[in-house]
Amino acid sequence: MRSAVASPPPGLAPACARGDGAAIVRIAALKKTFGDLEAIRQLSFDVGDGEFLSVLGPSGCGKSTLLMMIAGLIDPTAGEIRIQDAKVAGPRREVGVVFQSPVLLPWRTVLQNVLFPIELLKLPRPQYRRRALELLRMAKIDEFAGLLPRQLSGGMRQRVAICRALVHDPSILLMDEPFSALDAITRDEMAVELQRIWQANRKTVIFVTHSIREAAFLSDRVLVMGRRPATIIDELAIDLPRPRHTAMTEDETFNRLVRHLRKAIEASHAE
Amino acid sequence: MRNNIGKYAATIAWPLLVTALILLTWELSVRALGIRSIILPPPSAVFEAMAQRHDLLLAHLWPSLYLTVLGFLLSVIGGIFVAVLITYSAIVRKGFYPVIVVSQVIPKISIAPLFIVWFGTGTMSSLLLAFLVAFFPMTINAAMGFESIDEDIHRMARTFMGSRWQIFWKIRMPNALPYIFGGMKISITLAIIGVIVSEFVASQEGIGYLIKLAGGLLDTPLMLAAIVALSISGLALYAIIAAAESWAVYWQPPPEAVGVGGG
Repeated sequence: MRSAVASPPPGLAPACARGDGAAIVRIAALKKTFGDLEAIRQLSFDVGDGEFLSVLGPSGCGKSTLLMMIAGLIDPTAGEIRIQDAKVAGPRREVGVVFQSPVLLPWRTVLQNVLFPIELLKLPRPQYRRRALELLRMAKIDEFAGLLPRQLSGGMRQRVAICRALVHDPSILLMDEPFSALDAITRDEMAVELQRIWQANRKTVIFVTHSIREAAFLSDRVLVMGRRPATIIDELAIDLPRPRHTAMTEDETFNRLVRHLRKAIEASHAE
Repeated sequence: MRNNIGKYAATIAWPLLVTALILLTWELSVRALGIRSIILPPPSAVFEAMAQRHDLLLAHLWPSLYLTVLGFLLSVIGGIFVAVLITYSAIVRKGFYPVIVVSQVIPKISIAPLFIVWFGTGTMSSLLLAFLVAFFPMTINAAMGFESIDEDIHRMARTFMGSRWQIFWKIRMPNALPYIFGGMKISITLAIIGVIVSEFVASQEGIGYLIKLAGGLLDTPLMLAAIVALSISGLALYAIIAAAESWAVYWQPPPEAVGVGGG
């Protein structure tokens, strides 16, 4: 697994991950209520090993709650989540999380921030230091390793957060609207970067977003969630070749997918 | 960089100029109006007293500063300790904390005579009064620092299975440092007041005793000289803490750099 990080063979376009592995995450009859508020009702789906899955939905539809439950930070009201056949009952080592904001520790340098999980998990530091530098290089921020977060731009900070989520080599990466605080141009750039990092690492990614284009651009498969209480109202496979380029978002194929997703969301609003 | 030094010089130069003007006006008006030295000595007489009687001033300054610093350090240790209890113990937070807060309506200085009754006229009373007045801002600031953790940071640490111990040392403590230094800056000033008041009430040494003694002898230049010496010492203690702060809290830009942009 670790050697895969070193350098992806140039020009290799990996096959679509969907279906080529057993389900690594299984969600069955998941339900979450906060008091009287029903956030999630009856949610069931599987995520394949190595798949890039987006959960698309309007703000406040409960998709972040879903992600926090997969991360083991919130307990479900009913139903269950299984990761590699083990029931989720708390945070797990094989999961890395990227939050909406970078949540870097301001007193730590970029490299120290990336190594933070290693300290918490009490893993051998020298070995992971090399891996951290490798990740920073891949995210094109290795020259900033010694800087403090306040010296970086918003986009760079989020890159650091992605490196931090990957440093302990988790098999699943959970991303909670990671680019929503960034400006539009940086956002497009980050989507391309994320795809590159993902192709080099081959993690299973569950990516929560309210951006239709982002979901279509990045994913192998998109789940569309309706208004609260959240249920899956549509599911769409994105069979575009990888690596995908920003130019592709101009293509008719891409726009057809975007239109399809938009219609699905609008339909849920009309109800 | 040169620009920054220039700005720094400018921020220093103006207050210095105003101070010089005030001293000059004071000197000239005292001389012109022929005010007696017992009422208001000119600045030159105060400086003269400082130069001539520096042995006496220093002899009384040291014990006061020693007790101030000791009381201050005790309040820092005690304040941080109680703040940790407030953070982690629901009983302390819900039961003791409100009592500590409400007890602050007692003007602590008014307890000084009581301390003399309990602990005598020696150093113990001064030390305890310094500790008592300095303790509260330390506690409240440190507690605020430990509590004010961004919910997302806490969550992030939990996803990496951070223990409470790790979260305390790696997140809460560094997060609280700016608050702790804020508390220290208030506490050091209060600790000085605590010692001086205690020395006013009853003691045989210390700069507070000297001020009172000089007042009794109508030696106003000596009195003002003692006040100036005390003020300079207070400023120095404050500066030491501010310097330690900018070293320890290296990740926060210094206040004067705020809004300068880029720097």
